[in-house]
Amino acid sequence: MNFPFKKIGLAITFSPTGKALLAEAKRLQSLFNSELYLFHIGERTDEKEKSLLELILASGLNADSFKLDWGSGDPAKAIIKKAKEHSLDLLIAGALEKESMLNYYIGSVARKLMRKAPCSLLIHTIRPNGFSKFNKFCVSVDFTEENENMIKLAYQFALLENAKDFVLIREFKVLGLASTVYETGSAQGTEKVRLEIQQEEEEKTKFYIKELQLKNINVETVCLYGKEGWEANNYIRENGGDIFVHLAPKNSLKFVDRLFQHDLEFILKELPCSLLLVKPDKTN
Amino acid sequence: MNLSASDITLFLVGISVMLFFARAFGEISRRFKQPIVMGEIVAGIVLGPTIFGMLFPDFFNLLFTSSKNISIAYEGLTTLAVIMLLLVSGLEVDLSVVLKQGKTAVTTSLMGVLFPFVVGFGAAYFFPELLGIVNIEQKLVFALFVGTALSITALPVVAKTLMDLNIFKSEIGTVIIASAMVNDLIGWIIFSIILSMLGTASHGLNFGATVGLTFLFIGVILVIGRKLINLVIPAIQTKTSFPGGVINFILILGFLGAAFTEYIGIHAIFGSFIIGIAIGDSAHLKEQTKEIIQQFITNIFAPLFFVSIGLRVNFIANFDIVIVLVFLILAFAGKVIGCGLGAYWGGMKKDDALAVGFGMNSRGAMEIILGILAFNFGLINEKVFVALVIMALFTSITSAPLMTIFLNRKKKSFKDLVNKNLIIVSEATDKTEVIKELASLCAATIKLNAEVIYEEVLKREEIIPTGIANTLALPHARLNIQKPIIAIALLKNEIDFEAADNIPSKIVILLLTPKTDNELQLKLLSEIAKYFGNKEKVDELLADFNPQSVYQKLVK
Repeated sequence: MNFPFKKIGLAITFSPTGKALLAEAKRLQSLFNSELYLFHIGERTDEKEKSLLELILASGLNADSFKLDWGSGDPAKAIIKKAKEHSLDLLIAGALEKESMLNYYIGSVARKLMRKAPCSLLIHTIRPNGFSKFNKFCVSVDFTEENENMIKLAYQFALLENAKDFVLIREFKVLGLASTVYETGSAQGTEKVRLEIQQEEEEKTKFYIKELQLKNINVETVCLYGKEGWEANNYIRENGGDIFVHLAPKNSLKFVDRLFQHDLEFILKELPCSLLLVKPDKTN
Repeated sequence: MNLSASDITLFLVGISVMLFFARAFGEISRRFKQPIVMGEIVAGIVLGPTIFGMLFPDFFNLLFTSSKNISIAYEGLTTLAVIMLLLVSGLEVDLSVVLKQGKTAVTTSLMGVLFPFVVGFGAAYFFPELLGIVNIEQKLVFALFVGTALSITALPVVAKTLMDLNIFKSEIGTVIIASAMVNDLIGWIIFSIILSMLGTASHGLNFGATVGLTFLFIGVILVIGRKLINLVIPAIQTKTSFPGGVINFILILGFLGAAFTEYIGIHAIFGSFIIGIAIGDSAHLKEQTKEIIQQFITNIFAPLFFVSIGLRVNFIANFDIVIVLVFLILAFAGKVIGCGLGAYWGGMKKDDALAVGFGMNSRGAMEIILGILAFNFGLINEKVFVALVIMALFTSITSAPLMTIFLNRKKKSFKDLVNKNLIIVSEATDKTEVIKELASLCAATIKLNAEVIYEEVLKREEIIPTGIANTLALPHARLNIQKPIIAIALLKNEIDFEAADNIPSKIVILLLTPKTDNELQLKLLSEIAKYFGNKEKVDELLADFNPQSVYQKLVK
């Protein structure tokens, strides 16, 4: 299968998480049949280079199965620069499930990547025992063409992973609906409209599965009324999920998106599980 | 000063009478599909000096104006009512939605404020007498007020209009709602500045200090306060009784915010509105809570407030046709052109932009609140106030019908798409034959090669058969076309489209939609499937087996 992530990259660190991420990069390289780019951000010395190669080879990678590069300066900026230089399709990184309030607003390396990565990004939530394959995929739905391509990509990924569950999550909200209580004179009229819209969304999502021909895996659909991003996050926390697939923002997320929270910021603030942000132009 | 037993009795009877009239006229208004606020205002006019007070002045005076104590009690109650009304209005404002909607919402909301403001300000500044100015020395403040009054849009009326037109979730609906939210916020900020120019602060704060404190309040509440409230609400919802605890919390914060802005001289309502926005933004706040608080405030306090307006002014004696017409012309020109241009520049088509303009033209309750405050502060006289109320009601009533003119050109619901010329009786014996017939039928209408349509539909059909249920087959495809199209075949010979209920098809609906609009295809598919989910309805539809009868039953 020709998977769209032809070039994948990882910034290596010497930490235990770094080792686990390296093993994961190796696994994904083989799964996607892609080229692997590894880079280290820091001063390049002979001693460091030797240790780095030892670390890489210890992960089981062959010397000719990856390309190694070095970068310097601010880690997030350097990683983004390397991703652009090598025209990566996918960048792999690790992240804490939740940052401190200050780090969230200032932005840790991982959060900066999530907001500004020039390509698709797979963020693994850091776990002490390394990473395992993704069994349950949760995928956001918004019915756009880019989203359709993203779902197809996620579905291919799930098939490659031999995943058990594929959950399509449709979030929607009708702005200003509660204020119609006044004009309708009762909450019942408003509730009726909400239920009708909920049913319509459920029907559309069911048809969507048919249209996308998602049939070789257990597919479920969930329609959630409420703030987009926040509802999906809660759902995955309560019902479990190994990876959440979402479209990456078209433009980099800025500070104002943290103040007046962008949908995706609800996810980034506290990751419900690993996160795959798919760059819209990489979905075709 | 104590309320005597007689005062209390008259006060309670007065409130009961106001609530009764408000409900009665509100219901009549609702029956005629008009905003409830219109019925409540009319109730006040009927009950006040315009009709009841003129016919039975003694009884009117006894109930509403005989005692100074009663008047103060009414004033307290209506002030409380308007504070709570603005609090719930704020709850529905979601500022992040404007960022999310992007360019169209930004240009529409900015033009929706700027253009009417400039039109109103210019007219009032250069022709103040025409607009009924009270004190020519206050020309600048008066012009600022007229500009603000024209730039207001009432969210509840707008939301109800969108609900009635079933376009809540459409692009037009979302742009209108997002822009109305920003309009409200900017409008109230400008109005607060006007109030501070009038020097209403009772604590010796000058204009600069009041404006500075106003912006500090907005900044602190919308940036830090919002985040803190978001942290506190989940704890309140889980640790106190629901919904009592959270409603209590909302009211406490709302009143404190109102107290602060009243203290700095920009009226209490502004504080409650900003607090409402900060609370409503919390993702933790349940929709149910919003609806309960809406019900409680809008069924008790809003009617009292709107009826009380009619009690204060004689609408017949103060009706000035020139002022009314000038305000109406300015209101329509300002909003429809302003928002229309904003939406057009934001990338909408001309018809859609005009629909947005008329949708944003509803002034409703917000205009009336603004008017009564200006009237209380002596900035406008009775005639201007009456003109504002009429303008608010007229713009609200006409919003939906005028929007419909432009929306009607967009046929996007299943029933709208049914065309009597595209319904046939087919003698086909297999699915390829009937699809070919329907493809040819559509080809002439959409100017696309019948073969292209046929191949695309068949390609889709071969992947997964499109037999739905209850004798319906729904072959479909997304093509390079501008508008969706539906063609229907009534089958003389039943054909197996492999439906889930194993019943062969008697009716085939071919649905073709634009390639770029995935959601439209899903919406139409689900609408059609829902209609055919009802077996009785399908049996009735196919009873005559006649294209004309099927058309009439479908569009009914």
